[in-house]
Amino acid sequence: MQTNQAKDVRAVLVRHARRAAQLDGSSTIEAEHVLLGLAELEGSTTARLLAEAGLSRDEIKAALDREWEQSLAVAGVRIEVGQLPTPSPDPARRPRIGESAMRSLKRAMDNASALGGGRIGAAHMLLGVLDAKLGRVARALDLAGIDRAALRARVATAAEQGDH
Amino acid sequence: MEIAQVADPADPGAGLAAVVALRRLADRLEDSQVEQAMRAGWSWSEVAEVLGVTRQAVHKKHARRLIAAGVALRRR
Repeated sequence: MQTNQAKDVRAVLVRHARRAAQLDGSSTIEAEHVLLGLAELEGSTTARLLAEAGLSRDEIKAALDREWEQSLAVAGVRIEVGQLPTPSPDPARRPRIGESAMRSLKRAMDNASALGGGRIGAAHMLLGVLDAKLGRVARALDLAGIDRAALRARVATAAEQGDH
Repeated sequence: MEIAQVADPADPGAGLAAVVALRRLADRLEDSQVEQAMRAGWSWSEVAEVLGVTRQAVHKKHARRLIAAGVALRRR
């Protein structure tokens, strides 16, 4: 039962993350899409901890857009990305796992074995995403003023208790 | 634009993040502008010529998406 539930969560997460990548026009599932997928795991402790930290799905999207705008500004491009025309998504495209998502998965597995508690769960995945010091997610969360260390501690506690 | 800002040796991370942001912008613009051109009745060959790629490349990358979106496509 436990195993089936864990499998279900993984399937749902992959579906959410892939959908987030599709809507983003991305050919790959990246760490930010995994984070968006985790925020969409309704009724889960992981999604609740994210929301309590100010990281609902919409808040994550806004933070990612601000990171995009700020990084464009470094190159002298000043635009509101919300004003960009939205291309039609490709419903048949199946984004593959990208490099940053692979790194997150690797870190999630490291966390799962370090914290015990058996199989890899949503909280481990979130730890894997949060443990990246570099990249879009880290920059976006820092810009949004998120206390990553405090959030990480709460998620680690939940993971230790097997509460995903 | 402050070129020095891009090349700021004190913060290489910001310069690298700018590269990622520009790629994202170029990808987003390619998707939306190819769609706009095809909706305006451009041919694949014309779009390919402006983008500096082969007709096959632009077709392979965008045809399925635009057909799904219901855009009426010219054959050539």
